Amino acid sequence: MQVYKPVLKTFLHVNPKIKLFLLTAITLNLSACSSLGVEPWERDLLATKAMALTSSPVDAALDDHIYFSKEASSGGKSFGGGGCGCN
Amino acid sequence: MSNLDGKSKTMNKKNHLKAALSLATSALLGTSVATAPVVQAKEVDEWQFDSAFLLYSEADRVTAGEGILAGTKTFDDGEILALKITVDALTGASANGAVAQPQAQTFTRPSGNGQYEIAAGETPLDDTFHDTRVQLNAQWTQLIADNLTGSVGGHFSKEYDYLSLGVNGNVAYDFNNKNSTFSMGLSYFQDTFTPEGGIPKPLSSMLVGDSSSPEWDKEFAKTRLGTSEDKTTADVLVGFTQVINRRMITAFNYSYSMVDGYLTDPFKVASVLNNQGIAQDYIYENRPDSRVKQSTFMQAKYHFDDSLLNTVADVSYRYMWDDWGINSHTIDSRFTIPIGRVSYIEPHIRFYQQSAADFYKPYIMDDEVPTGFISTDYRIGEMTAVTVGAKYGVVLNGGNELSFRLEYYRQMPTNAGFVDPDGLNSIDVYPVVEAIIAQVSYSF
Amino acid sequence: MLTKRSVKVSQAQDNYRISFNAMASPCEVLIQTQDKHVVEQLAQCVSDEVWRIEQKYSRYDSASICSKINTSNGHDIAIDQETYLLLNFAEQCYQLSDGLFDISSGVLRKVWRFDSVSGECQHFPNAADINKLLDFVDWPSVIYDQHSITLPQHMELDFGGIGKEYAVDRCLLLAKKLTDAPILVNLGGDLAVTGARLNNQAWQVAIENPNREVPGQSQDMIIALSQGALATSGDARRYLIKNGVRYGHVINAKTGWPIVNAPRSITTVAPQCIQAGILATLALLQGEHAEQFLTEQNITFWARR
Repeated sequence: MQVYKPVLKTFLHVNPKIKLFLLTAITLNLSACSSLGVEPWERDLLATKAMALTSSPVDAALDDHIYFSKEASSGGKSFGGGGCGCN
Repeated sequence: MSNLDGKSKTMNKKNHLKAALSLATSALLGTSVATAPVVQAKEVDEWQFDSAFLLYSEADRVTAGEGILAGTKTFDDGEILALKITVDALTGASANGAVAQPQAQTFTRPSGNGQYEIAAGETPLDDTFHDTRVQLNAQWTQLIADNLTGSVGGHFSKEYDYLSLGVNGNVAYDFNNKNSTFSMGLSYFQDTFTPEGGIPKPLSSMLVGDSSSPEWDKEFAKTRLGTSEDKTTADVLVGFTQVINRRMITAFNYSYSMVDGYLTDPFKVASVLNNQGIAQDYIYENRPDSRVKQSTFMQAKYHFDDSLLNTVADVSYRYMWDDWGINSHTIDSRFTIPIGRVSYIEPHIRFYQQSAADFYKPYIMDDEVPTGFISTDYRIGEMTAVTVGAKYGVVLNGGNELSFRLEYYRQMPTNAGFVDPDGLNSIDVYPVVEAIIAQVSYSF
Repeated sequence: MLTKRSVKVSQAQDNYRISFNAMASPCEVLIQTQDKHVVEQLAQCVSDEVWRIEQKYSRYDSASICSKINTSNGHDIAIDQETYLLLNFAEQCYQLSDGLFDISSGVLRKVWRFDSVSGECQHFPNAADINKLLDFVDWPSVIYDQHSITLPQHMELDFGGIGKEYAVDRCLLLAKKLTDAPILVNLGGDLAVTGARLNNQAWQVAIENPNREVPGQSQDMIIALSQGALATSGDARRYLIKNGVRYGHVINAKTGWPIVNAPRSITTVAPQCIQAGILATLALLQGEHAEQFLTEQNITFWARR
């Protein structure tokens, strides 16, 4: 239970504008998602390497390491934890 | 025609299909059966490798080299095994947290074995950092049910003074004709830190004197708390991706991370200044023993058509906030522009901005020496950073890809509202850090 | 309908690439040589031959012999040696497949329209329509000899099942007469090689994964081919979906319906392309026993479900 308290507290204390934006984005997305999308034969462009969400995992790993060491933020797209004695 | 006859006729046909077909083909093409070529075909190995070497070099500061070799194998039923080895080496000087002064300063090395001098006006940098790290990762991904994919992985990383072990797992569910995916992942890391010179007593003064004197070791030991410390990191990552149309895909992530244990940087000190801005003492920093970070991330990729050179645009935004008072914004964008049939160029620009941690100060005034948390590490201070660069890639004959990346990274720490004492008028309290990133990659 | 007839020649590091469009597919020829003159001759020769075969046997071309036969209304049509040989080959395939492979199943195109662009099921036929047409799918009633063919009224022939592979083999024969250089002829995925590349290296051929719309599964399969031919049959591109069931474009000539439970894609290798093509099609016609069928025949193949 101790874990949950800080999470809720922190989320509630987030800038309300941001909270609203996130909730709207998520709700809009979930409700609209059944009308969005493509048929399997329309995936020609989406299947190319450049359109993958992480088109170069090696570049992403190298960059994440740099920014994790030099800045206060980490992760977001993938797990940001641990790894090295940098930050 | 009895049943038996009919059956054997079919059996014969079956066994001689290949031969019969050969005959038929020869008849059709007018080639003789005897000279019909034999066939030689086999499936090529399914390992796909990605390798890269990166050089990160800060002007006058740290230089790091990192090499990665990653191999991925896809099995017949779609299972994927990914193995990766990373080796990096670090050398050069890092800021030790103290502020520059109009006169020369002397500091003791983290190991306690020796002192180093910093010239007047220069930002104090400690150049004792040389380290080599080896990291191994393994990840297994497979379909566990209709539209449900699971993945588990492990991480091992070792450097001279640091050991990190980690595991992760995640599941992803596809729906809406595989246009939507919902995923959830967990990761857990256990790190052990054994810095050279041991763990300093937080907020204690840095012992500066003569390392070779006979009382040194005893005195130095008095400033130490122990030899090693641990920290654990537990992350939860929730993600949602949605195909919008034939040209566009979007992703949204939320992550929650809890770090517990030793989070202080044992190599950093804070300058204690009098009201003229002259350093009287240096004390070791002290950070809380837990940190809860949260972030929301959103990304969109769009494939333009001929009129815009078939460019693929990748834009993302991340907002992070934690219980140390830090919040940050990251906007990252890449544009992959194909050139001809086999190459591309990819300009990249990234903006980053963070606010300072509650306990961050650029230095401490001697009339308000803290008893709680304090850090002068600019990396948790207020800062803006920009990265600008480009990548060029080309597909070689045989399908292997070679690429080159060159970027400029500029970190600009800013004043979060502190008023500097007069003595620091000629001093750059928030020096800019510039770095060049150069990388060459080869996929085969 | 005349499509654009242009041939493009481009040079890569150690070979030339000839590309053109024919038979509704991208066609390419790779030749490992530095002799541009030979390349141009080959480009002319191969494209002419493929277009010739297309013009002669395409059921969509009103001037083709195929169309002439299909509109003959039961009368005799004169045929040449090449057509006679193709009809013989079709006869062999009919026998070897126990009637599942039947080039007179062309009439079924009236109700089965496979077009991955429209994809949707507005034109999904019902059993009555199909049964009506099945009367006209009957290879044994086609009468032919070395000089002429008599196709009963309302029946239609479709050389689509063998035309492309036949063209590949013909091109290879002509190419071999022209030069000794290593050549690969690829007509929309049905391909063959004259032999190994220089230094005895194999040609690397990528077979598209029919599941490539699934994220994380776009891995194509790479096959090293040193001798022989390769044909891929499957529903990756042409299929219909109705009520969530996927109907491939290979039709069982006995029932009039597309095969169900067949692998999504089968790639076979054989000494010649036409053999590989027939084997792949015959295997697909076995539906869920496709792999078993090919294994029993000792044929090298790759199937994806």
